[in-house]
Amino acid sequence: MTDNRLPERPGEVIDRGTSLAFTWNGQGYTGYQGDTIASALASNGVEVFARSMKYKRRRGIMTADHWDPNLFVQVGDEPNVRAGSRRLIAGMEVSAQNVWPNLKFDLGAANQMLGRFLSPGFYYKTFMRPRWFWHNVYQKVLRKFAPGGRIHWETSTHGAYDKRYAHPDVLVAGGGPAGMGAAIAAAEAGASVMLVEHEPELGGHLRWGGADDLAAIAELVSAVESHPGIEVLTDSTVTGRYDHNWIAVMQRSHEIAPERLIKARAASLVVAPGLIERPYIFAGNDTPGVMLSGAVRRLINLWAVKPGTKAVVLSANPEGEAAIADLESAGVKIVAALDVWAGEDIVEVEGKGRVDKVVLGDGRTVSADLVVIGTGWTAPTSLLNMAGDRPVYDPSAARYFSDHLPDNVLATGGITGNGTTAELVAHGRATGSLAASRALRVRHDRRVLAARARNPEGPKPESLQDTRTPLARVPHPECYRSSTHGMVDLSEDVSSKDLVQAQKEGFDSIELMKRYTTVTMGPSQGKLETVNAAAVLAEARNMDMADIGTTVWRPPYAPISLGALAGRIFEPIRRSALQDWHEAHGASPLLAGQWVRPDHYGDPVGEARNVRENVGIIDVTPLGKLDLRGPDVTKLLELVYVNKWQKLDIGRVRYGAMVAEDGVVSDDGLTGRLGEDHYLMTTTSSGAGAVWELLEDYLQTYRPEWDVHVTAVTGGLTSINVAGPKSRDLLLRLAEGVDLDSEAFPYFHVRRGTVAGVADCIIWRIGFTGELSYELHVPSGHALHVWESLLANGEDLGIKPFGVESQRILRLEKGHYIVGQDTDGLTKAPSAGLGGLVKLDKPDTLGLPELKAAYSRTDLPILVAIQPDDPQVVPMEADQIVHGDSNRILGRITSSRMSPTLGRSVCLGLVDPSVSAAGTTITILLIDGRRVTGTIQEHHAHVDPEGVRQNA
Amino acid sequence: MPDLEFKSPVAHGPISTPDGAVTVEDETVTAKIVVRAAAGTAAAADLAVPYGQSRLRADGTLVCGTRPDEWTLFAAVGRAAEVAASVNTEGFVNVIDITHGRAMMRVSGRKATALLAKVCNIDLADDMTPDGAVFSGSVAKVTCDLLRSDRAGEPSYLISCERSFGDYLFAALGDACTEFGAILPVGLDIH
Repeated sequence: MTDNRLPERPGEVIDRGTSLAFTWNGQGYTGYQGDTIASALASNGVEVFARSMKYKRRRGIMTADHWDPNLFVQVGDEPNVRAGSRRLIAGMEVSAQNVWPNLKFDLGAANQMLGRFLSPGFYYKTFMRPRWFWHNVYQKVLRKFAPGGRIHWETSTHGAYDKRYAHPDVLVAGGGPAGMGAAIAAAEAGASVMLVEHEPELGGHLRWGGADDLAAIAELVSAVESHPGIEVLTDSTVTGRYDHNWIAVMQRSHEIAPERLIKARAASLVVAPGLIERPYIFAGNDTPGVMLSGAVRRLINLWAVKPGTKAVVLSANPEGEAAIADLESAGVKIVAALDVWAGEDIVEVEGKGRVDKVVLGDGRTVSADLVVIGTGWTAPTSLLNMAGDRPVYDPSAARYFSDHLPDNVLATGGITGNGTTAELVAHGRATGSLAASRALRVRHDRRVLAARARNPEGPKPESLQDTRTPLARVPHPECYRSSTHGMVDLSEDVSSKDLVQAQKEGFDSIELMKRYTTVTMGPSQGKLETVNAAAVLAEARNMDMADIGTTVWRPPYAPISLGALAGRIFEPIRRSALQDWHEAHGASPLLAGQWVRPDHYGDPVGEARNVRENVGIIDVTPLGKLDLRGPDVTKLLELVYVNKWQKLDIGRVRYGAMVAEDGVVSDDGLTGRLGEDHYLMTTTSSGAGAVWELLEDYLQTYRPEWDVHVTAVTGGLTSINVAGPKSRDLLLRLAEGVDLDSEAFPYFHVRRGTVAGVADCIIWRIGFTGELSYELHVPSGHALHVWESLLANGEDLGIKPFGVESQRILRLEKGHYIVGQDTDGLTKAPSAGLGGLVKLDKPDTLGLPELKAAYSRTDLPILVAIQPDDPQVVPMEADQIVHGDSNRILGRITSSRMSPTLGRSVCLGLVDPSVSAAGTTITILLIDGRRVTGTIQEHHAHVDPEGVRQNA
Repeated sequence: MPDLEFKSPVAHGPISTPDGAVTVEDETVTAKIVVRAAAGTAAAADLAVPYGQSRLRADGTLVCGTRPDEWTLFAAVGRAAEVAASVNTEGFVNVIDITHGRAMMRVSGRKATALLAKVCNIDLADDMTPDGAVFSGSVAKVTCDLLRSDRAGEPSYLISCERSFGDYLFAALGDACTEFGAILPVGLDIH
């Protein structure tokens, strides 16, 4: 095991006092606190970290940061960990991913010999035919070669992800000198600032710089950290900028979650990501030992790792020159220092597991184990693109610059030009001041407009003019490809030769080329590849770079794990005041929308039978309830329901059905008149929210002159249906102040009274079961007392609770339809059997024109009761009704159950009018393919069509 | 009517971090009265609290301007009828007792704002949402009415929601509390 650790470096971030043991492919290693996985492995002499995706070529460190395409590893049960930026933790089990049988000898490397056949579009061209091969052969084989690590979801200890919101005045993306300058100036101007840095420490490129750089960092970091108005998020990435400066920040540095998504609404966004160093294209440019200048400087200066022993350096800029100095200080011999400006070049690198020989542009071949590339910078303009900018290529500087930005997005730092540290900080500060001034004007307006906010103390802040002195665009050679071909996209194994071939095949626009070859589509998301790809295309087409364009950078800036996008899982559950009781008494839970309800207590059929014979109680709290008050309630009811409401006396109840503007049945329920101007409307459980919204919508926008107050009271009134022939006997024991006699309190009436000592209960004589029944609406804080009192006082009457399933049986026996189950999104009022209920002579009703049209039609399906001729056959809901032996569909079963009362199956169904007449025999196609016959019934009600029981 | 126990939908006691940085507690057992009053009515003038703000009356009733034509009055449980009766109902005014219809909980402590920022997307900065501010928003995906009602110089928020969401919302706030060191009681889990 080679020890590549250097003596102490001035800016090193490792703690040599804290050794961390870990494993790599099962072998034990140690690193230091502060090491990345990659730096720890490199310090131990590891040179090959991965195999490439397609050709399984050996890959080593290239950028030594988050973007390194060669440093994806498996850590425990977490796949695709970026070893270039993930900090080492004691006990980490790190391994190479997607290799077989192992990293050293990967049989997939045979693909390199087949390279000429694995050209762009190989998959499209090869796996199209024969078609049946896709599922049976291709898919299974290709899956084995799918890149990426393994997820052990059954044993994962990865932990839950998290999310939070933020509302900074100014959000600064990038914690380098310009970004820190912007944050400080914005905070000094009075803005709240969120400073987001991709790396684990602030400082940007100064971190691996010299003494002056380190001193500058210390000063800036001190100013940032001491300002209470700046929130610093390191190891975090601004992954997207959306409309109105909705900014997504992925925080990887929080202790409670692997990743936390921060949804920030920033008044101003300052984009200060710096620059990303660009690889250079030549033969063998992906050989382990070929590194960018930033990589060797980071390895040497941050982690004190010697990256090689004999180096060839190709440099076109001062950073390349600085790399030479760093290499020499680390004891690396510079075999050749090549100056791009002087026309010097690298043509080819040879070597398998590591650089061995380097062929230079002048024809010489030198021996080296390290090739350092410092040939250019890419401006990561992603966030600017997301703000609508279309950066423009400047050939003199060999990179792209912003063209036009909205007022709430500003750019600073290397993305806008070159400068000394002082110049970068100054530009950042000017940008921060400008961003703050714009943000504080927004904040002023918000405080004026938001009713809850404190009024601003002074006048609206002055609007600062943009007087920033632009950073210089230092000339840089356009240095993209040597005279040889090499890798452009190391993530996707796409070479410059592949791109040229794609261009020849006609994929000669950058967007088409991207999709055809998959260049820039890997985890680096084009940070290293986009500009090189454009350059290769420009060269192939003999065009200027500026005319080639680039692919569009869309969110996310960096890949986001799906878990982080899901974040904390909030799934609101609604519980009635009786749900605890239901669960304590064996209720089987049923999730109905957001409500959890008792489906049954073990014997739904027995529970239903008990309602027919004795008395049962069911919790129907989810039933929507809207308290309507005001002199114009009747007008509102006339508007939203298809029937008339003018003559509803106090104490009476009426059924109402609602249709949408298209005449389709949307909701139904009962409404009781409790007082002169006071009504209580009930809705379906699922439709409660929508009906409330509809009423408010029409009151606020269509009839604002009507005096109606709508209050949702669903959860406040616990609803208990007491059903069965003995229900009156039971209530006589508990109700006070209400005459329960059938004549005094007949069906479809409502009263107020006291039940079990609880005042202000509303007692309805209604039901869904077809039995004599009362529905109690009880103040929920006392609902459990009423429920338990009913059970205690009804013991000798045979009382039992019943659940939703029993209710479904009972209502189907009675033929009551359910909106949404026995109707669908096309069921107009005539189909639902609303018949005479609908009054077409009203002056105004929702959906009236469509209702009139619907009632003039004779072809609409009709909801009917159906009984299978074989009483033991229970068709499934949604089984089709067909014409004889054909497959011509005439309708479908909408509800079906075995009726315990009749001892036979009963159904409701929507059928074609041609077969809707009572007595018609229909054919039901069962799901198993059998066909059975059934008969259309005269009434919807299978049980007690005359209503004797409910009117008792 | 005998003295019946008022059952809250929240079956758990307060959740607190060991350092007291944040506490979540149930305050459902509070009288809650909604007043709907058109502009120009005596009730609107008497309540004298603009939309978005609140005022503590001398009788201990907290009056919140919940909507442009709506106020919510909070008082000690048992005072609902008295508070309702105190409203002048002349004109188009309606008084509705929603004591049983709303769950209510309080989040307080120096980390209360940070906790809410995990579940609520409203800007809770001191100038945008000062002490006394009344507002509505989604809290852990539940529609809620919120009131900033500071205690002892530390942020404190009263959050009320439809009663049936109470158990869930308390659990969701408890879950958010774990970041700050709270240990949740067994059974209080949203996942």
